[in-house]
Amino acid sequence: MAFLEINNVSKKFGATEAVSDFNLHVEKGELVSFLGPSGCGKTTTLRMVAGFESPTSGRIVMNGEDITEMPPNQRDVGMVFQSYALFPNMTVADNIGFGLKVMKKSPDEIKQRVKEMLDLINMPEYTHRYPYQLSGGQQQRVALARALALRPDVLLLDEPLSALDAKIRVSLRAEIRSIQQKLGITAIYVTHDQEEALSLSDRVVVMNKGQMEQVGTPFEIYNFPTTTFVANFVGTLNAAEAEVLDPAKGLISVDGVQFISADDDLKTKRKGDKVRMSIRPERFSFASEGKKANVVDCAIENITFLGSVVRIQVRIGETNFNMDTFNNPFLELPKIGDRTQVTCSQNAVLILEE
Amino acid sequence: MNWSWVGVAPFFAFAIVFLFLPSLSIFYRSFQANDGTFTFDNIIALFTTRDIINAYKTSLQISLITAAGGAMFGFLLAYAVVLGGLPRGIRTFMTTFSGVASNFAGVPLAFAFIATMGNAGLVTRWIESIFNISTREMGFSIYNMWGLSIVYMYFQFPLMVLIIAPALDGLRREWREACENLGGTSYHYWRYVAIPILLPSLLGTMILLFGNSFGAYATAYAFSGSFINLVTVLIGAQIQGDVLYNPGLGNALALGMIVIMALSMTGYIWMQKRVARWIQ
Repeated sequence: MAFLEINNVSKKFGATEAVSDFNLHVEKGELVSFLGPSGCGKTTTLRMVAGFESPTSGRIVMNGEDITEMPPNQRDVGMVFQSYALFPNMTVADNIGFGLKVMKKSPDEIKQRVKEMLDLINMPEYTHRYPYQLSGGQQQRVALARALALRPDVLLLDEPLSALDAKIRVSLRAEIRSIQQKLGITAIYVTHDQEEALSLSDRVVVMNKGQMEQVGTPFEIYNFPTTTFVANFVGTLNAAEAEVLDPAKGLISVDGVQFISADDDLKTKRKGDKVRMSIRPERFSFASEGKKANVVDCAIENITFLGSVVRIQVRIGETNFNMDTFNNPFLELPKIGDRTQVTCSQNAVLILEE
Repeated sequence: MNWSWVGVAPFFAFAIVFLFLPSLSIFYRSFQANDGTFTFDNIIALFTTRDIINAYKTSLQISLITAAGGAMFGFLLAYAVVLGGLPRGIRTFMTTFSGVASNFAGVPLAFAFIATMGNAGLVTRWIESIFNISTREMGFSIYNMWGLSIVYMYFQFPLMVLIIAPALDGLRREWREACENLGGTSYHYWRYVAIPILLPSLLGTMILLFGNSFGAYATAYAFSGSFINLVTVLIGAQIQGDVLYNPGLGNALALGMIVIMALSMTGYIWMQKRVARWIQ
């Protein structure tokens, strides 16, 4: 039995179904991210686990106990809010110790635990500061410490970094992951930032329109997206309509240009079927002498310098594809309008479900 | 040269002409006898004349009662409207009504209460005819301090609603959720989070309600004439009266009111500093 089970959970707001038949089992100590665009139901699902929303149907079981109808203040769940939600009238120490005070712990115990938490977030000297005296990043670290002070079974993080600037986001997400692993706490992390989800999760749940699109490790989600939505939402995607020429050999055609795909899904198709194929930009490379499979003619349409990466737009047949190559100052890039050949491996050509 | 001060100049000019200079004039004239000579008699009278002491006492009582009552019931009304989950239309109606009612004072308000709850008022007659009960014989009368307090409540209530509603709007949902998430109940939320956050606004509003009531004249005078002994009514009698005409004493009474308001404001600022250390 998993530590946290979300079984067939649905949530309706009037006629709108925000979450539809959501199923997820989270193991103890695992960090799972809910990734998706605004309005996809990820926060609603998180709020149902926290107890702030009641599922219309389905059950939520934590550590073997059904908590579906349990009030939020009786669940052993800590939550970090997007807007920090620190109590502005309390100092850092009072914020962190609030839950312990509610639980009527002794002042000495509260003081000791607050100190531990402040050490954990590397802010021991901020005890007596008020929230307005802290930066956004510091406030969120205090919010994390407050949520962890009660030693909850599950930690919920609702887009905790979205209000912070890019540099702080990167450093704080590493800190969150490090603390989560150090404490071995089970965590659910809601985000719409794919980089964030991929970088700190054990597993990622990609959501769309209230439904789970795909669940998998960051590696699986990025490299083997199973639906067009996941492929589009996670990373940059080249997608095109293709016609199946020979399912057994994995042969497909895009505007008359042939590709070979190693995707097993193709074997279920028949000759003449229309499918949607995709190739990640970084899976393309310029064809060198001797490479035979998936070597295709193309024209250079555009070149964009992105720092560590150079994005080259190539036209294959009538379709434009993006190709990413690492920036190398000594690499001679083609010019716009040049004709050349690009290639990709057979397992880079994926067949997507609609 | 920086000319930005020109923008605030009209405000300062207005404050000097209509606030500072009249206050100065009140102070100066408090020490003048009717013949224009310097005297301490007016100030001494504030502490020695029984009628004056009683007037201050009654004014303070009514102001404290209506400030506390208005704050409490107005807060509950605002809470119901803002956080009570009532339909949006009710909030719009309440806000509009509060805007009108908070300015409904003076002669029309006094007449409204006399016409409904006075000796020959509509409600009084209705109770008599339906229940065969004479409220007057039972000792009920609105022409006393409590009656005037009820009349004042009519504009104190809505004023509280108007002022405290935005503060209640400022309570973020996440604070309540964070409190619940940390094991807290509604009691913990209001005791440790919401009330402390609202306290500066509540104190500010209460001092405003106190001042609003303390300085009211037209309502009290139209309602009971000089039957209820208030400082403002007494000042009116000293300045306009044929018998009691003594402008110097009237100014001294006004000076006393200014001193009381100044002390209230000082107390407010002191408390504000204590309860709002967390405000930037």
